[in-house]
Amino acid sequence: MAYEAANGTLGAEDVTPRRSFLVLRRLARKRLAVVALVVIVIIYLAGIFAPLVAPYGFADTDFGNTFAGPSLEHPFGTDRLGRDMLSRVIWASQTTVIISAAAILTGGLALGVTLGLLAGYAGGRVDNLIMRVADAFFGLPEILMLLLITATVRPRVENFFDKFDGWPILGGLNEAGLPDYFLIFGVLSLFGWVGMARIVRSQVLSLRETDYVMAARAAGARTPRLLFHHLLPNVSNIVIVAITFSLGAIAGTEIALTWLGIGIQPPHPSFGTMIFDASGLTTLRAHPNLMLVPAVVVASLLFSFNLLGDALNDVMNPHRR
Amino acid sequence: MQGLASYIIRRLLWAPVILLAVSLVTFGLGRFGPGDPIQILQGQYRDPEVRERIANELGYNDNFFVQYGRYMGNFVTGDLGTSLTYRGLPVADVIFPRLWVTFQYNLLALVLIFAIGLPAGIWSALRQGTWMDPFLISVFLFFASVPVLVSIPVMQWLFALKLGWLPSGGWEVREFFGIEIGVLDKRIILPLIILTLPGIAGVARYMRAQVLEVLDEDYVRTARAKGLAEFTVVSRHIARNALLPLATIMGFALVGLLGGSIFLETLLGIPGIGSYAFEAVFNRDYDSIMAIVLITSTAFVAANLVVDITYAFIDPRIRLGGGAGR
Amino acid sequence: METRRLIFVLGGIAVMLVVVVGGLALALSGGGGNGDGGGPGDTGDDTPAAESSPLPERVEGELRLFGPDPITLDPACASDAGSAEYIVEIFSGLVSFDRDLKIIPDLAEEIPEPTQNPDGTVTYTFNLRKDVKFHDGSRRVVAEDFKFSLERSLDPRTLSTVGIIYLDDIVGAREFAAGDADEVSGIEVMNANTLKITIDAPKAYFLAKLTYPTAYVVDRREVGDSTCFSDTQWTLRPNGTGPFKLEEWQVGQRIVLTANEGFHLDPKPSLAQVTYFLAGGSALIMYENDEIDLTGVGVNDIERIRDPSDPLNAEFRESPSLNTFYIGFNTQVPPFDDPVVRRAFGMAIDKKVLTEVVLKDLVVPANGVLPPGMPGFNEELEGIPFDPEGARALLEEAGGPSIVRDATLLDSGRGASVGPIIEAVVAMWEENLGVTVDVNQEEFGLFLRDLDEGSFQMFSLGWIADYVDPQDFLDIKFHSASGNNEMKYSNPQVDDLLERARVEQDEATRYELYQEAEEIIVQEAPWIPLYHGKTNALVKPYVQGYFLAPFVIPNLRYVSLSR
Repeated sequence: MAYEAANGTLGAEDVTPRRSFLVLRRLARKRLAVVALVVIVIIYLAGIFAPLVAPYGFADTDFGNTFAGPSLEHPFGTDRLGRDMLSRVIWASQTTVIISAAAILTGGLALGVTLGLLAGYAGGRVDNLIMRVADAFFGLPEILMLLLITATVRPRVENFFDKFDGWPILGGLNEAGLPDYFLIFGVLSLFGWVGMARIVRSQVLSLRETDYVMAARAAGARTPRLLFHHLLPNVSNIVIVAITFSLGAIAGTEIALTWLGIGIQPPHPSFGTMIFDASGLTTLRAHPNLMLVPAVVVASLLFSFNLLGDALNDVMNPHRR
Repeated sequence: MQGLASYIIRRLLWAPVILLAVSLVTFGLGRFGPGDPIQILQGQYRDPEVRERIANELGYNDNFFVQYGRYMGNFVTGDLGTSLTYRGLPVADVIFPRLWVTFQYNLLALVLIFAIGLPAGIWSALRQGTWMDPFLISVFLFFASVPVLVSIPVMQWLFALKLGWLPSGGWEVREFFGIEIGVLDKRIILPLIILTLPGIAGVARYMRAQVLEVLDEDYVRTARAKGLAEFTVVSRHIARNALLPLATIMGFALVGLLGGSIFLETLLGIPGIGSYAFEAVFNRDYDSIMAIVLITSTAFVAANLVVDITYAFIDPRIRLGGGAGR
Repeated sequence: METRRLIFVLGGIAVMLVVVVGGLALALSGGGGNGDGGGPGDTGDDTPAAESSPLPERVEGELRLFGPDPITLDPACASDAGSAEYIVEIFSGLVSFDRDLKIIPDLAEEIPEPTQNPDGTVTYTFNLRKDVKFHDGSRRVVAEDFKFSLERSLDPRTLSTVGIIYLDDIVGAREFAAGDADEVSGIEVMNANTLKITIDAPKAYFLAKLTYPTAYVVDRREVGDSTCFSDTQWTLRPNGTGPFKLEEWQVGQRIVLTANEGFHLDPKPSLAQVTYFLAGGSALIMYENDEIDLTGVGVNDIERIRDPSDPLNAEFRESPSLNTFYIGFNTQVPPFDDPVVRRAFGMAIDKKVLTEVVLKDLVVPANGVLPPGMPGFNEELEGIPFDPEGARALLEEAGGPSIVRDATLLDSGRGASVGPIIEAVVAMWEENLGVTVDVNQEEFGLFLRDLDEGSFQMFSLGWIADYVDPQDFLDIKFHSASGNNEMKYSNPQVDDLLERARVEQDEATRYELYQEAEEIIVQEAPWIPLYHGKTNALVKPYVQGYFLAPFVIPNLRYVSLSR
């Protein structure tokens, strides 16, 4: 029995590298997913290299040339202050990249995975406690709480960070609005971990009953090893798919938050501010490009992430699909 | 059955604990946050004395726990406090009509989402391997990818302005046996389209995955090999495995949709709870915020409880703290 | 067996679909023919359709429009224009403004002449109309009602934030508002029809202040002990004396006013009913679909509407409003304690671009503090010119761009976007002065707190007239002792001019004093006035006599429909 178990675990680890190769190959066969990946990479690269790629500055006004239609100089036209729409979209992509990074760093994903693993594996009291806390968070009206928390907590955080004005590194980060990013995405992850934790937990629950985990436990493997060595790799598929979807969702969330007035106001434009400025039916009627340019770009980004996530799901979790 | 009874009691005991935590946090956020309603309503005419008097009268100068206790004491006796957004009106009079409005159209949208999503998912799964499966799912994914803040004005522009088929927004009620129903007016179509289209993808994909899973099971393969009609085989397992989780999703989705109605209601001029909640936060309308949060979480905790107990009833493993996830 | 179950489930879904779609079709079949494309509800013609129309049937003589969602309809408490818009139609006071912005007697029989008392105070004796009843017809309005209503606005227990601001000139008002007196000694009931109000000094603008809702009469029987924050249910169906009665207030949805047939002034209301839609939405489209009769026009539509070939062009109207939007400086904290720096910032702004390019002439550029249309408005005032080079030179003189490093403009708003005007102003400073200004946007409550605490460098805000007198702008915003002087601007010469103007009896001299003060203020630039607003509206041709008021005055009784 013990011998077989050890064998089993070895087998499970052994399989991992080959599988990831397999996944990539299978993914490559999905043409739609490849196109989606290309779109994502283009938008992200444009964002990262915005200072090099953008033909104009995001704040370069030209009051003699407002609301211009598409032309060679301004392929997407200009806005109400005569600023180049193409450049602004590129800079907005940069904001999206920064926000996505901030969202992942603040740890909504890590939190969800860890708590899910723990709840699923430990069971009993721990499970009960984590899941009841999850219930409490899940039961709160998320957007309303987000509004409330940012409205009440943000000024305090800003005041706190203002103390570092003029400091070498911290001051610069503060100028870039970094505390804001962390606050908002910290709050988002406060609510965001629940869904992930639940998915991971249920996956762990079913894995726990599988032969090789039972055997590993019988062989005397300790909890952390079991969690991170045996369970995590098997949960990672779900996690990767979930990350793909949430990267798209983050771009969407930024728009919603900005509209609510609790978004981040970076020095450069974001898709949220662009859409907000041009939203409203009357603008859409009079100057459709102001709304449609950022909308099309951000919708393609979201669509691509969704397609990619869906394809990954098919490829990586063949039994779930 | 004893295990079940103790499980239910355990869960029932948790409910007030959760609600208590939620109420404390919400109350604390309001009272300890900067800015207060008096500042906002005084506007550009600011007189520190008047302000102090109002703060005293409204009890904002009392100890936090005194204030909290007073509010919760009133709350459990059915007094939800006094609105500041509509100054001096009882919160209950303001929010219940609005909750009813939001509930109506959200319920309808949810029914539509499932009515379209379920068959679409099954159909898609049965067509796996053909172009139709990814095509259909991609179309739904596309709708799910357009931010509502884009789709609302675009739909308005299309249906109200370009085609002239629908009013651009608003909310009209008709009375049936003394109940005001708002969903029987053509004004409801635009919000329904906007809410339904992005929601279908999730349900369809879930259903598709369930069906594919069932198709993969050994005994199904066997059954199919034995020549049983595919439809018969699939149906049995879907009915058993997929529909109960769906009921859960439906319950949660209804509560969740309430939170998402802020955009829709504000842009389309629907007097529901979402637009009010938005205003309430900016007005620091403490009592209204508390009431909305508490009612929503209570509804949610209740829904959760019913679902979990149903599960426990069906699947005894859950009572032991483990077993199948949701 | 199992097939049957699935069929049952799918069948159930199908039934749901049929019910939902069928129900919708049924509900719509009546109203489908509205759009010329033919609605999706054109089907099912022979169903005995539920009676339906896009909106409830129009009543004969009904005016429909969008309205702001009022915070309160209690005259003692309203501090915002959105609430006042309804209150001035439902309630009334001793005097009011007519459409020429002249003060006319309302519940008073005539405008009383002020009489000077030996102790320097001034008394107004109002004779009340004897024919005025409250809306419910149960009772005449008597002098006691006025004493009650005015004292209620001042009463500390009412918790009004505006009572003392509008009524503080009355002798004894401050003591009463502080809770140190049992009544306001300056308000005396002589008999049922005679009310005497004594104010602390001759003040030309006092009657104008009485046109504000805090001085309106309420029915003491229904008001009872209600305050601004409790027991306000009576405002859902108030018993007023104004030209219109509040028929229905569905909070957040609609307000319906009906004519008060027995109104005491001419012209009596001609509209039978006025319906306000409060929930918001797309006003212009509803206007174009004939669902509402008038609507405001925003910056996005203005170019199309100005085009003479556009069908809406003939229905477009514009008229000045009494307000000023400005950038204010903290005059106590460097670098903006230096008038030279403030002038430099003013000179760097091209107001013509702001008004013509950014706001498409929806507003007019502001040279001074007072808006056009305000008595005492100075046509000749040139203000600070746009002069980028002069601006740079001034800034150099004051110490160069480095002294304004880290300048931050405080703006109020919900944070989504600071809006085109502020964006443009910041861009102009950057381009013409070489100064980068950050914008810090805060929601209104926090914004006001920061103004109070003086923790700001500059801010952008607007000031809207409460009554038609230059005092409302110049004295309230720039007197060093005024609570509304957020700039902490202090100039003894200006203070002196403003104080003299308060008590000056000769109108022309008074306006000259204000103009003199304004001239100094503009040159020292605690404000950079940016623009004055206008009311830009579309009015259906059958709406007669609709007047675009420069600020909130009772207006609807002049309106009639010819269809």
